[in-house]
Amino acid sequence: MSPEETGFLYPFIEADEHDVGALLSDLAASATGKAAESSELRTLTLEALDGDLDRAATAMAERFRAGGRLYTFGNGGSSTDAASVAALFGQAPLGSALPARCLVADQAVLTAIGNDVGYELTFSRQLIAFAASPDIAMGFSTSGNSENVIRAFEEARSRNVLTIGFAGYEGGQMAACEALEHCFIVRSHSVHRIQETQAALSYRLWEVVQEHLVPDGVGLAAQHEQLEPEVAR
Amino acid sequence: MNLDGRPATMDAGVQDVLGPDAADLAAASLAMARRFASGATLWCFAPSWPSHAQHVAVEFVHPVIVGKRALPAVMIPGPDLLESLRPLARAGDILLLVSRSDDPAAAGLRQRARAWGLLTVWIGAGPRPEPGAADYVLWVDDDEPISAYGGRFVLLYHLLWELTHVCFEHPGLLKSEQAECTDDACITCSDEGRLGEIVAVCPDGHAQVRTPAGLEAVDTTLIGDARLGDLVLIHAGAAVTLVEKSVR
Repeated sequence: MSPEETGFLYPFIEADEHDVGALLSDLAASATGKAAESSELRTLTLEALDGDLDRAATAMAERFRAGGRLYTFGNGGSSTDAASVAALFGQAPLGSALPARCLVADQAVLTAIGNDVGYELTFSRQLIAFAASPDIAMGFSTSGNSENVIRAFEEARSRNVLTIGFAGYEGGQMAACEALEHCFIVRSHSVHRIQETQAALSYRLWEVVQEHLVPDGVGLAAQHEQLEPEVAR
Repeated sequence: MNLDGRPATMDAGVQDVLGPDAADLAAASLAMARRFASGATLWCFAPSWPSHAQHVAVEFVHPVIVGKRALPAVMIPGPDLLESLRPLARAGDILLLVSRSDDPAAAGLRQRARAWGLLTVWIGAGPRPEPGAADYVLWVDDDEPISAYGGRFVLLYHLLWELTHVCFEHPGLLKSEQAECTDDACITCSDEGRLGEIVAVCPDGHAQVRTPAGLEAVDTTLIGDARLGDLVLIHAGAAVTLVEKSVR
């Protein structure tokens, strides 16, 4: 009987495994499959949410025009995605630099609030200090249930701050959160695939906001043409 | 650039990007899993986009899938990779760099990493690094200024994490890195041209040199004025060539 047929009974047999080639081709196939899955989810979600994204971007552009700032937040990997979005809006190599800041950037503030009043208030307490109309609050949670993210939306809305949220699965509590004006749900059960598509959605928001804000003729396309020779060095 | 003026980045299918890289991604994941199995720490550095380095680190330290083992991964704050990493890195560790190939923070990386015994994985976009700049290069070829955003890098390092954990299901294949003799300085095959970094200079024509094998004393009379941080080629107990001047 070959090891493949009895392997499930004797997991230690794998300790003698030596076919690196088979593993490498399995890994490559798995990577290609997951990339295809990611690409498909992104395409479908962008299509499905196209109108909603336009509406949210239009509302954001109005806020930016009125002098508003963007505050982003999330936990774990989503906190880094929130930081990336703040960097995209604030420091992208093309487009207008807009006032954007990530609320996980300051360890002193995060640990002070977490230690003194509770982790669920880490973002809402900061919004009390920083945010007012016409600012924007943008939160990321793959489950849609992160309590500190939900609490931040509630605080933001009570201050007439525009609220935008990115969730996964079926949206969790964010789907039912009345304080959340624009809720983008990536309908997947894989945290990784959700985050990849959330990045694409927030990128689209940035693109549309830029189109709204820059004067005619110097839109992203024109700026991109100007950048190319430099980038090609 | 497509018709409505949006940069082409978002329109190229991820699979188009990943296709040629799937084998590299597989090989990088196996190499990383082998290093982790031997006790490596993963150092993550993204000079222009620190959030990517943080994302990689949290991915490995606190896996999203319950039951997957926590692995040591650390985001290195900028801006100077070499100075930050020098005291932290141990031979056998892994360095994951997320940057453009022309990022000055990446300069000098290849030689130093070899002298310190690090496995290097480089994720980036735009013009590719020169061949051999890192052990594994996972590259997004198109040259959009905003390639770092929109989820492409996120996909690459998510896959790196996922595949690394698949490798852990094959303990028999994690035992060694037998076929790492890819360079002219393979320490297991010969004593020809090993790289070392000078960490102390003695007045008697000797210096203490850091190599993947540890610290050793070498004769520096052949290269003359040895300085702290110089990268030298070692042969038979002597520094025979100055490869790169001190970057300190």
